[in-house]
Amino acid sequence: MIPSVASAQRWRRIFLVIGAILAAYALLAPLTSLDALQSLNVPLLADKLWFRIATYIVMFIVLATAWNIIGGITGYAAFGNVAFFGIGAYTTGMLVAKAKWPFLLALPLAPVLAALFAVLVGLPLLRLRGHYFAVASLGVGVALGELVQNIDYNGQPLFGGASGLFLPIYSIDNRGLYFFYLMCGAAALAIGVTWWVLRSRFGYGLIAIRENEEAAAVLGVNTTAFKVAAFALAAALTGIAGGIFSQWNVFINQDNVFSIEYNVQMILMALLGGTGTVFGPAAGAVLLQLLIQFLGGSLPMSIELPFVSTNARPIVAQIILGLLLIVVVIFIPRGVIDFFGGRTRLSWAYLRRSLRETSL
Amino acid sequence: MSSPPGRALGAGPTSPQGGEAATAQLELRGVTKRFGGVAAVDGVTFEVGKGEIIGIIGPNGAGKTTLLNCISGVYKLDGGDIRWEGASIKGMAPHRVAALGIGRTFQIVKPFGSMTVRENAAIGALFGNAEGRSGTKLAFEKADHVLELVGLKAKARTQVTSLTIPDRKRLEVARAVAARPHLLLLDEVMAGLNNVEIDEALDMVRAVHETGVTVLLIEHVMRVIVGICRRAIVLNFGQVLMQGEPEVVLRDERVIEAYLGERYAKRLRA
Repeated sequence: MIPSVASAQRWRRIFLVIGAILAAYALLAPLTSLDALQSLNVPLLADKLWFRIATYIVMFIVLATAWNIIGGITGYAAFGNVAFFGIGAYTTGMLVAKAKWPFLLALPLAPVLAALFAVLVGLPLLRLRGHYFAVASLGVGVALGELVQNIDYNGQPLFGGASGLFLPIYSIDNRGLYFFYLMCGAAALAIGVTWWVLRSRFGYGLIAIRENEEAAAVLGVNTTAFKVAAFALAAALTGIAGGIFSQWNVFINQDNVFSIEYNVQMILMALLGGTGTVFGPAAGAVLLQLLIQFLGGSLPMSIELPFVSTNARPIVAQIILGLLLIVVVIFIPRGVIDFFGGRTRLSWAYLRRSLRETSL
Repeated sequence: MSSPPGRALGAGPTSPQGGEAATAQLELRGVTKRFGGVAAVDGVTFEVGKGEIIGIIGPNGAGKTTLLNCISGVYKLDGGDIRWEGASIKGMAPHRVAALGIGRTFQIVKPFGSMTVRENAAIGALFGNAEGRSGTKLAFEKADHVLELVGLKAKARTQVTSLTIPDRKRLEVARAVAARPHLLLLDEVMAGLNNVEIDEALDMVRAVHETGVTVLLIEHVMRVIVGICRRAIVLNFGQVLMQGEPEVVLRDERVIEAYLGERYAKRLRA
């Protein structure tokens, strides 16, 4: 069922308006917690817990959007991008905690180091294709986390070891707000970069590589250079998020910056939202992170899951995420962004067509 | 346009054509490619002059596609040398060969599936020959121009997945032409087409050739070889069996034998 052009445009307009209102609310509501506004009796539209979660959601917008550059646009299923997040976090963390650098000076080095590492491992790894690349990149992600935790120097753990690395608390008024908007800036950068990539010669080269690497090469695309550049770009953006996270969270260790779970989530978000698109991964990140928080019971609104005790909720959440991944891959292969474009609408016919496309 | 003397009648694979080396655009010298113990291409030597249309024929498994893969840099040579306008291109990566102005198509078409016909052609214009690469805006104008040349203009905005086989073959050529090659390597673009479609494809190749492109084409359809080639090179078991004017080559006993087998060739003679 293909909707007419006029109705497609109407739907697109409706989604744009709703999206703009929601985005404006999410971006502006935290401002109502400022003392100046509170003393003017402006109602509090977002409490502190809520915009801690919001910062977390925006962080995943950065991760999923960055993953999309290598995984969605270039078609290389990277399972180790969390390594770049960890490198970013530890770069900024070490510079702030040990070298006593100011945070804003230490932050720009996070993407630089992450990108350099991506070039280093990308040159051998990006020669692999399909599952071989996926598994090898997963190995890099896991190995790097173990290395960082276990490297000793003069008998002392170099990066804080198993007990992690503590950063001095950043002294600034409205710290929560500050990191929320900093993360929003990183997300805007990631989305802006993706927008640029998809309109550039670089982006067309990447898509050509995804669709047929051999044909791209004989048409003059320097496939190695393009893949490594895409990997490094994704790494840099992921590294920025890691750098911001380290100072925001003030404590980093293997579990919270080298978590493979993050990697699974960023891929799932990009798939859910729509790979290869500008806003798909961001939409997926918001939807999925809200769902994760909801299932985990950390949102203000929550429901009792029948037959599930509070302790078991995170496990049940994992199971639901796994099921969701299967359903999304089979039934919504182009992601939910497909519906927001106004071109297609969710219907039985759509699901049946998807099933035909994705099943062998 | 007459063929230069000495080329018209089959110069054997081993006889050097020293005097013409300076004018050759592409020069293959003892090109060899092995897969395990099998030499798929075995000491192939020939030259291609600027502006020629040359056909490469030979039975299945003769090494025709392997030879194309060697020229376009997809395979690394195990022996011999390939020279482009006097300089060796041996060991060059495919994208660097393409940047010199050597374009190719694939026998099994390899379209960029998620793109429209127009976007596919635009990739050629954005990359390809290092001279005259376009920015994104100009690339689409050039893509439109090329699509008109190959007769795909009406389908510019369709998704390639919904194209018919002949149209996919056209697109394969369009993409290669959009890359502005000096030399175009065509790998069986007529295979699987009916007679009318072959005539259209012939016109397309002629139109491309008239823009000043040298064409080296692999073909099984002999009508095509006789129709547009001044010279045909016959490969058999990875070696050049003979080369010369298509009409002469196709009547040669060795060629008939290579295609039909010794026994059948004898019966044909009798």
